[in-house]
Amino acid sequence: MAATWIKPSTRPEPIEDLVSGVDRYNPSNVSILEDYLYHQIRSEEYDLLANLAILKLYQFNPDLYNPDVVINILIKALAASPLPDFNLCISLLDERTHPSTLDEPDPLPSTLPQLKTLQSLLFRCRFPAFWATFQSEEFENLRDNYTVEVAGFENAIRQVAIRAVKATFTHITSERLGSYLNLSGNDLTSYVKGLGWTIDSSNGTITVPPNPDNQIEATVVQEAIKLPQLSKVISHAVKA
Amino acid sequence: MAQQRTQLWAAEADIDEDIDLNLAIGTYAQNDYEEASLQQPIADATLQAMQAHLSQQNAFAQIPDAVKAFIVHFHQAVLDNNLAEITIAYESGWNKFTEKFYAKTEWPEAELIAPLVNDDPIFLILYRELYYRHVYSRLQPNIDDRFHSFENSCELFNYLLNSDGPVQLELPEQWLWDIIDEFIYQYQVFCSWRSKVKSKTEDELVMLAEGGPQVWSSYSVLNVLYSLMQKSKINEYIAAQREGKSAEEIAEIVGEYGQRPLYRQLGYFSIVGLLRVHVLLGDFTLALKVMDNIELNQKSPFTRVTACHVTTYYYVGFCYIMLRRYPDAIRTFVTILNFIMRMKQYHTRSYQYDQISKTADRMYALFAMCHALSPSRLDDNIANIAKERFGEQYAKMSKGGEDALASFEELFLYACPKFINANSPPYDDPAAIQSLLAPPTPAEASAVDGSSQLDATHRHLQLFLSDVAAQSQIPTLRSFLKLYTSLGAPKLANFLDADEEEMVQEMMVVKQASRSFSRVPGSSSPGLLDGETITTSDLNFVIAENMVHITESTVGRRYAGWFIKNTERTQKILDDLKTMPLPATRAPGQPQQQPQQQHQQQGQRESKKVGWAKTA
Repeated sequence: MAATWIKPSTRPEPIEDLVSGVDRYNPSNVSILEDYLYHQIRSEEYDLLANLAILKLYQFNPDLYNPDVVINILIKALAASPLPDFNLCISLLDERTHPSTLDEPDPLPSTLPQLKTLQSLLFRCRFPAFWATFQSEEFENLRDNYTVEVAGFENAIRQVAIRAVKATFTHITSERLGSYLNLSGNDLTSYVKGLGWTIDSSNGTITVPPNPDNQIEATVVQEAIKLPQLSKVISHAVKA
Repeated sequence: MAQQRTQLWAAEADIDEDIDLNLAIGTYAQNDYEEASLQQPIADATLQAMQAHLSQQNAFAQIPDAVKAFIVHFHQAVLDNNLAEITIAYESGWNKFTEKFYAKTEWPEAELIAPLVNDDPIFLILYRELYYRHVYSRLQPNIDDRFHSFENSCELFNYLLNSDGPVQLELPEQWLWDIIDEFIYQYQVFCSWRSKVKSKTEDELVMLAEGGPQVWSSYSVLNVLYSLMQKSKINEYIAAQREGKSAEEIAEIVGEYGQRPLYRQLGYFSIVGLLRVHVLLGDFTLALKVMDNIELNQKSPFTRVTACHVTTYYYVGFCYIMLRRYPDAIRTFVTILNFIMRMKQYHTRSYQYDQISKTADRMYALFAMCHALSPSRLDDNIANIAKERFGEQYAKMSKGGEDALASFEELFLYACPKFINANSPPYDDPAAIQSLLAPPTPAEASAVDGSSQLDATHRHLQLFLSDVAAQSQIPTLRSFLKLYTSLGAPKLANFLDADEEEMVQEMMVVKQASRSFSRVPGSSSPGLLDGETITTSDLNFVIAENMVHITESTVGRRYAGWFIKNTERTQKILDDLKTMPLPATRAPGQPQQQPQQQHQQQGQRESKKVGWAKTA
């Protein structure tokens, strides 16, 4: 999994050269990376290292700063929880001491706390709270201007919830799962079927297929004694 | 003009004077003539120049002879490319003289000692490098020092990188590492000094406005490090070595620069330098990616310089912490802390040892934090030392809850690297600076105050603390789960006095925390970012509807090591006994007859002894 985190299979060749080489520091390349970001947004792909390269260029060249790009990168990183992607992006957002060169007021200072709240809810697996907050009035700006552009945002968040559920449950009630996914009734049923999970229609319990995380067994870690360890003892006995 | 004239009448004071003398004599007549015609206005200027030169002569005379001799000897060693002599002069000579004569003041300026070394520009650049290093470490550098040290570093790297072809210089590894280390260190202190807008004087503001953006800019620092890497083709070299290519092929791959050890070592140390710079700027993934080609084991070349070795592990471990890969971080710290413990007995050389101890202390703090966040039964030795050193904080952190956060914050601030901002405050824009210094509203004032001092560190601290806060319930939950094999969710919620749904979600967090990305030992890929998901906790559980099923994995008793060790020891004792001669017993008062008797007795005993061995 790490391999795809570092280098997604969907990353095109020129981007790969850019990200792995010294050219990533060249300010004139920022538009290539920004276009790639918009490609990711439209086609439900995700490439962390390329997005971090954009943020690094902004770090060194404050006049290139584009708040919409930053917000979009953060939104994309939300869907990667519990990986540390979101935090890594924030680490690269330096304090802005230069006067703004933008035409409109900077939307980042107001949206950043909102995004941080969402991220913390996701990391703490508070999925119902996440949906409630996300749908609330305060977040209208975020929803209408940003997340609506990101294709498949809600499904990506659902994936986060599914990952957590897969690891923890063998059976889960549909109400609970529905609250985590913000789906109910037929939507929920079809989504679950789409995942390949089975629903027991009599009591609404969903069976989570076995995976390494939710199969538990008590293990006793036995010591494995290897031959080389005994070589000295055995050779001594042979000599005598 | 005036200079040459005074040099003539004070000729005795200078050492190598021949060439200068001739030149001076040659132009003496001209000087005299010009002097006569422009008597009045120049008088003051010449007087001042003469006085300046006099004071310089004085200062020169005040330099102890031992120091002068040392400088000449040092210079000669550098000229001869005599690596052994240079190493001695650099490591012990310089420090000895610093302790003796220059513990509280600066070494003589480069211009002062220039005559001793024939004005050799290369040696003067190297001398200045040492001079500024001394200023930065023992004294307080002022703005001039900072600007000049940057210029000197630029000259040095210019000389190394932009001469026609590789230079013929050879320097010891320790010095090369120190050059890179000091370069980054001066960059880092400059950035943190630069961001404190409020404490600048008028002059400093002017100087920063004019020269600011170029001096110690992030791009120039990165440029130097990347150029060193590219010129020496160090990455290709390492890859070729790993593939086992022959010496000729390697020589071809790395080109003329890469073949010289000076460049190869500089390239290698630049990689570690880049790791450090990226961490300081907050880019942890890129930091680890840069180290792709370097294997973190005891056989790698960077272990030859202890300071480099320790620094590398510290920054790699810190990156892992920020990437939430606590098991990896723990493993990294344990490796290096074990090494430092063993090495302590041999390396107690003053200046390096202090710095290494300080770094080791910070690593113990980081280790304590990771261990609290991801307890595992790894190295008890290190864990014990960490608990001794940071016992109080460790206890609070392992319990979780509210107090833990304060302890985490304390240790994080103690142990983290000194993060910097990539950009300087806008010194070249007076209006912006004014608004920073005298913010319009009190709210902004407090924001500027706090932020300008610590803002990068603060940002990273907040990120770390939010992670920690998310996991603060975990120790309590774990302690409950340990007591049962299966437990109903409502019952557990009752114990915790929490809402059932909240608790179930918290359980998902516990599960999440027990899974971590980690490098699997023995995996073939060299990259530090690679890894797989592994379980980090002994406690495992699953929720089936409303029932929690719990299992715990235990470690069976390990008896093999103990038995093998004792068996080997017994065998060794047995062997020793068999070959040991029996002690001769001497009865007092009969010395002459005794030896014969003893001999017989011994002979008898020995024959008996042989018999005994056969039956064994």
